[in-house]
Amino acid sequence: MAENLVLDPVTRIEGHLRVEAVVENGKITDAWATGTLYRGVETVLQGRRPEDAFYVTQRICGVCPTSHGHASSMAVESAYGIKIPNGARLVRNIYECAENLHSHILWFYILAALDYVNPAKALTANISDTIDLAKAAGTGISDFAAVQERVLALVQSGDMSVFSNGWWGIDPVAHPEEADELYNPDMPAELHLIGVAHYLEALEMQAEAARVMALLGGKFPHGMTSVAGGTAWVPDSTKLDDVLYRVKRVAAWVDGTMIPDVLAIAPFYTAALEFGGGCGKFLSFGLFNDADLDMNSRYFPAGYIDVDNGLKVDTVDTSKIKEYVKHAWYTSPSGLHPQHGETQAISSWNDSTFDLDGQYTWAKAPRYDEKPAEVGPLSRMLVGYLSAGADPAIKGIIDFALGELGVDDPTLLVSLLGRVAARVLETKLIADQTIAYIVELVEAVKTGEAKTFAEYDSHDGEGAGFWEAPRGALAHFVNVKNGRIENYNVVTPSTWDMSPRDDNGVRGPLEEALVGTPIDDIERPIMAARVARSFDP
Amino acid sequence: MTNKGTSFYERLEARGVSRRDFLKFCGATATMLGLSSSAAPMIGAKIAGAAEDGGLYPALWLHGGACTGCTESIAQATYPNVADIVLDFLNLVGQETIQMSAGVQTLEGNEMFAEEHAGKYILIIEGTVITGLDGNMLRVGGHPFIEELEHFAERAAVVIALGSCAVDGGWVVAYPNPAKGTGVSAFLKSKGVATPVVNLPGCPMNPEELTSVVVEALLLTDRDADGVPNLGPIVARLDSLGRPKWLYGSTIHDNCPRRGHFENGEFVYEFGSEEEALGYCLYPVGCKGPQTYRRCPMIRWNNSVSWCVDSGGPCIGCANWNWVDQNAPFRGRFRRVGAGVLGRGGIDPAVGAAAIGGIAGAALLAHGFGMKAAHRIGKNATLKTEECKEYDAKHAKKGGAV
Repeated sequence: MAENLVLDPVTRIEGHLRVEAVVENGKITDAWATGTLYRGVETVLQGRRPEDAFYVTQRICGVCPTSHGHASSMAVESAYGIKIPNGARLVRNIYECAENLHSHILWFYILAALDYVNPAKALTANISDTIDLAKAAGTGISDFAAVQERVLALVQSGDMSVFSNGWWGIDPVAHPEEADELYNPDMPAELHLIGVAHYLEALEMQAEAARVMALLGGKFPHGMTSVAGGTAWVPDSTKLDDVLYRVKRVAAWVDGTMIPDVLAIAPFYTAALEFGGGCGKFLSFGLFNDADLDMNSRYFPAGYIDVDNGLKVDTVDTSKIKEYVKHAWYTSPSGLHPQHGETQAISSWNDSTFDLDGQYTWAKAPRYDEKPAEVGPLSRMLVGYLSAGADPAIKGIIDFALGELGVDDPTLLVSLLGRVAARVLETKLIADQTIAYIVELVEAVKTGEAKTFAEYDSHDGEGAGFWEAPRGALAHFVNVKNGRIENYNVVTPSTWDMSPRDDNGVRGPLEEALVGTPIDDIERPIMAARVARSFDP
Repeated sequence: MTNKGTSFYERLEARGVSRRDFLKFCGATATMLGLSSSAAPMIGAKIAGAAEDGGLYPALWLHGGACTGCTESIAQATYPNVADIVLDFLNLVGQETIQMSAGVQTLEGNEMFAEEHAGKYILIIEGTVITGLDGNMLRVGGHPFIEELEHFAERAAVVIALGSCAVDGGWVVAYPNPAKGTGVSAFLKSKGVATPVVNLPGCPMNPEELTSVVVEALLLTDRDADGVPNLGPIVARLDSLGRPKWLYGSTIHDNCPRRGHFENGEFVYEFGSEEEALGYCLYPVGCKGPQTYRRCPMIRWNNSVSWCVDSGGPCIGCANWNWVDQNAPFRGRFRRVGAGVLGRGGIDPAVGAAAIGGIAGAALLAHGFGMKAAHRIGKNATLKTEECKEYDAKHAKKGGAV
């Protein structure tokens, strides 16, 4: 019998997302993703100075403002033909690295972990067993007893605060078995306690990574310095010291806690290798610039993979990007290239406006080569894994993780667990890379090669900034005339991943990933939430 | 739901906060409130007392048209995590970004909470009130967000509009305001909801600002036997725009560490320049510090590691009403000041005559005249670096304190 599943709001994400699905015989057979908010940033930018877009577009996303700022400045630089100096390239790389560290730590522990780690079960953990388990897993030893007391105090006070009304069941302490059904009952209480302890540590670590951004940009969120032309921040030895110290602290924690935690928890969720894979097409615009500022020579190179055509990487041809709006609430033409995109919202609303067979979201449907494409760490890591010229560390860490899980087929990464693992493994690569960029910048400062801003005197042009936010491929497009924005268009990672059907009726990556996802309890659809959150919407 | 049975300090310690950390936090808060740090024990006693009565405010946090930046900002409150703890002592039930529940459980949980605490809870709103398409440009749980907002605001003791978007719509209401955004107090007034609103403008809000409001509420608020707070004293400490006077009483420029360079006529004319390395004044590259009321130079950001001007980024005036229309172009050296700008600024009619635009405008006008009197700027001053530089070099010596 077919049942309808509605998850609205999908919490623990940035923004407003609704998921609807049809469940038959315990599995999702069809799904729809709805972005439920329209703000109209592109319309607000018309007629303004292109340099102002750097400030305004950061406010698209409070979790990844740095990436929006960078993509915006890159778009203006591309329109004006500005090449940023080497110092600015390094500062921006460090800045962007810090945002990825911040975002990935926040995502895994604060947003996603509660779907895999049950704080109620942590109450029954034996402390000395927990320490033994942590040692065996090679993960951080925390004051587990204090954490357990803290959770107990929270539960006993009756003030469950943000943990209220979760999926743990009515009374998770008296009836832990209710919650166990949602998690893996075989996962020991001690591992749940380790997860909760590190959830609390992660609060500090994501903030530490954000402090690096604040040092470079004044504050986080919404930094002030990566302006078109380079960066307003001038590197000085005191702040560079501070930056290096903080990054090393975060990097050590990622190595010694985050990676081993995931490797310890993952074996209890290997069922998640079987579903949640999505559309099987992966797009990356590349992340962290090399000296030539070319998207193909970035640390994570640009590339496109269509798994149906085999495990190989094609060069990205940005003219193949189009946005379709048949199923979104716009009246502007469908199928435009975003450089000349249009955004005209519908002008009235009635009871039939929200229609899963018609229009059902504010997200447009971006397509690459007429097909949906998944973006994000899984795409970056797969492209890096398969690109001959990329850092061998990318292939190395994926092969290592596959070995730990006892699987040898990298196509299994095209799954819920693969997407989670890719984001976490990438965190380690980025942590190491941050240190490398800081060292490079210190050398550049010493030799006087650290100029951070290029003057310019341009007023016209068309340009685009292709970059990656932590959650995937991001592009800003700008057309400038007489120093004013004539058209501005943003294609965010979430519109790729949470895209609706296109004009051919082909589902977006999240919608496709939900199909086949097992649902045991339609009132507590934790698997659907896991799949949605795995995209870090 | 009761907190009885454990003392406040035991509960703090259970959450990993020592009594000493807590008093340090109270001292910092006292300074923030403009009190002597000797008031720290009084603040501590007041918080502890309220907590032991089981009396800290229950709070519900809803997201309008938000980027989640204010939640992110709160997540950076790390002075030694105590700000988090105090927020936690708000008994914060709904918070979409971090809460455990989702979907129907979230909606039901909010409803149960509001029934249980009707008339007593703080409603925190982050993000713009989106009214476009009768509110359907933002739907939550299958309904327009504005319905949810009205529903929960009616039963709240007080609403905190967190960040510029909730205060007046933020960047979303910049011309042509395609989503027809507005602020919380203007929206509630249009619906006849009389619940008082505390405005905390800024994009994003600084966690210290929210914390200080919470503490202020505790210091000045008595409750009746049913736990309903008397908000008279705190409302009396709001300015005509609904902002806490102790947070928005001086401009960025008033307290800027680079102010001395301004007085000396030492300016940054170009990003990444030698002048920036020397920490000169950012006024010529568009700093809106003189017309922006906020305490950033003192509070700073991200555990106080930096703030905008400290990193070389000119203030963009993100705490001003309709800050994008009012302040853009952000790199512009001078901005147009006049009724046109103020009139289009979406000034909240709910908060009285002396609108922020007026105050800021008057301040800048005075400031501009001062600058002119000091011969630092000419009538036809432009953005061209060389001209400005030349002009300032020529006239710097004549300049004194403005």
